[in-house]
Amino acid sequence: MQLKYGLISVDDHVQEPPNLWTDRLSKERWGERIPHIERTFGADRWVADGQVLLGGLVCRAAALMPNRNREPSLWDEVPPAAWRPAERLAAMDAAGIDYSVLYPTVAGLAGEAFGRLEDGELEVACVRAYNDWLIEEWAATSERFIPQCIAPVWPVDAAVDEIRRAVAMGHRGVVFPSLPMHLRKVPHISGPEYDPLWEACVALDVPVCLHAGASPELQYAPGPALGAPLAEALDAVTRPVSSVFVLSLYSFSRVLLRHPGLRLIFAESALSWGMLYMEWADHQFDHDGLAREGYDLKPSEMFRRQCFLTSWFDQIAPFAPYVGADHILWATNFPLATSTWPRPHETIERCFRGVSAEAREKILWGNAARLYRL
Amino acid sequence: MQLKYGLISADSHAAFDRDTYTSRMSKTKWGDKIPHVVEVKENGERVDRWSVYGKISDVDVCNCPALMGEPFPTFPKRWDEVPKTAYEPLERLKALDLDGVDAEVLFPNPPGGTFFEFGDADFELDVVRAYNDALAAWARASERYWPLAIIPYLSEPGTIAREIERAAACGHKGINCLGEMPKPLPHLTDPRWYPVWDVCQQLELPVHIHGSAGLRAGASVRKWSGYTPRQAHSAMTATSAVTPAQIIPHLIFSGLTERFPRLKFVFAEAGIGGLNYVLAACDHEWETRRLWTEGLGTRPSETVRRQMYVNFWFEAEGIKLRHEIGIDNIMWESDFPHVASYYPHSWQEVERVLQGVPAEDRQKLLYVNALRLYGVEASAPEKAVQGAELRCS
Repeated sequence: MQLKYGLISVDDHVQEPPNLWTDRLSKERWGERIPHIERTFGADRWVADGQVLLGGLVCRAAALMPNRNREPSLWDEVPPAAWRPAERLAAMDAAGIDYSVLYPTVAGLAGEAFGRLEDGELEVACVRAYNDWLIEEWAATSERFIPQCIAPVWPVDAAVDEIRRAVAMGHRGVVFPSLPMHLRKVPHISGPEYDPLWEACVALDVPVCLHAGASPELQYAPGPALGAPLAEALDAVTRPVSSVFVLSLYSFSRVLLRHPGLRLIFAESALSWGMLYMEWADHQFDHDGLAREGYDLKPSEMFRRQCFLTSWFDQIAPFAPYVGADHILWATNFPLATSTWPRPHETIERCFRGVSAEAREKILWGNAARLYRL
Repeated sequence: MQLKYGLISADSHAAFDRDTYTSRMSKTKWGDKIPHVVEVKENGERVDRWSVYGKISDVDVCNCPALMGEPFPTFPKRWDEVPKTAYEPLERLKALDLDGVDAEVLFPNPPGGTFFEFGDADFELDVVRAYNDALAAWARASERYWPLAIIPYLSEPGTIAREIERAAACGHKGINCLGEMPKPLPHLTDPRWYPVWDVCQQLELPVHIHGSAGLRAGASVRKWSGYTPRQAHSAMTATSAVTPAQIIPHLIFSGLTERFPRLKFVFAEAGIGGLNYVLAACDHEWETRRLWTEGLGTRPSETVRRQMYVNFWFEAEGIKLRHEIGIDNIMWESDFPHVASYYPHSWQEVERVLQGVPAEDRQKLLYVNALRLYGVEASAPEKAVQGAELRCS
């Protein structure tokens, strides 16, 4: 591993191109159900199996647009750095980013889009195509791209098979929607039905990435009268902190306790709510007498054994001592509107005031290098 | 008033006697729909429950575990077991003295606060008035009680505003409001509610949003069927930590706080640390997206410092950030007599949490900010800090 800039961004998004699925899925078998772009009322949007993807947008790349409050409405307007690996590398060099851990966009910012398809076989076909494409088009271009696979949400055997296949191909992490039961009728994520999934990830030594926004119902939705730019900004604030519901569930429902080797990355979680949550969860744990109900760790101890929060704009110094510098990661969120691109290092200088050099190195690249075995 | 201890709880809960509603509501008009206590069988055992609008409540007859002793937490099954301290204002003053608390802001105890759920606006208005009258009587009993009015959500906004005016005239010091309006009512930030915010701003009544605040966000995750009741309670309450972070951005990004710049919002039993996130995240989006070009003129952190208040009680880590959060925007709360309360050892916890905090900050956190927000004139306690002598009580 060679670091030039001292930053591994653990949460960036690739934009899938129009032919990704149409080139890789059988036209005879799936026909119009294959994810593709349609032009409706002069705007392009993604459709799969009759469902509109990505909230009706064609892409999410507002950080690359002249006005961050407007996304491109046609594929032809999508900036190349969003979807072309070579252009992305140039953007990373311009901004000072060494490595970039990749998440999808059309397949869901949290890898959740195909979990909403009712047909499990179509889901698997779409997922495999994405995982193949990311290795062939991105990982093959540069080792500075750290590919992560997505997985079908159910049945669990299909998820395990695909994760094994993808990791063998070179994927370094697993992007899994945190609450698959919100996507379609599948068992609750806290149940033992998913144990083979967690066990496989532990055995393969890959982190599971629970990206914020997998379940919009964890957020308080804007009022209908609010215009798109402000509604989008509001959504960008309520989305990261919605991770608290996921962290609480995985802690109190014992997923973390049952799988001590499992490592969970809360991507696009932000940081500053984490300390309060942990202090509160421990306080409540004591007041409700949960030590008598068979938990051998408090919520904060589970977190510090197995979890990671991901920030891009928070002050670090007030939180690192309690949350633990070993459990904080840094990202640029390229190319979403909230991204600190094109000047992530300016934000970093502001956010890392008062942080020791050792903690700073851990958060900006050391923890990520360890998690992704760089 | 004269402060004796230098400690004001900005979030406590008042329970009512069993005849509170039957003595105030028309028997001819409402009959058995009036809230009253009934005996029911539960798992073969006779227990008492509140009956409201003819429906038997599924929670214990009084939420007052802090008064029930060991093993903790215990909830009364029969009305006879409910300590008078929970519902008799003069009895309760003794508890305040035992705990070293000067005054309390009073939120509801079940069955108060959720009368909208029967969908009957006429009933809701009558029972809300009875509630507000009953709680106003506490303020007449002692200046140490600072009541909050509840509101009839299902009524026309003009009617709600008049009830708020009436309650304020009877001694209420603010209103208690859900953070997410019950379905199918319009969104919290909808213009329908402007008359409510308008009257609160004019009368300088802070709007209080408590605990999980009716947020549907995350509700299904909190209620996983695999939890025991205590586990479910922990999982639910711990996520209340982010209630302000889900709600305050709505108040700001919708333009509501620009329209009502003198209206204050208090987030009770939601901790203070959620405000760190609100400040950092809202400012980040405001700057990154240049939201002043979209009609949002004020930097969100300025709005927060101007209009938002949060409460603390156990957050030793959180209180270290008091200046980042806003030293003038934080108040102490006890949550008495609920499960999170440290009664009768509140001072012990105060001293633990405020270790190393200088006197000026302590005073702001423990009573000065509350006096200012609720417009109460008071002389300072005789000694600057009373905690030490009460610590071992």
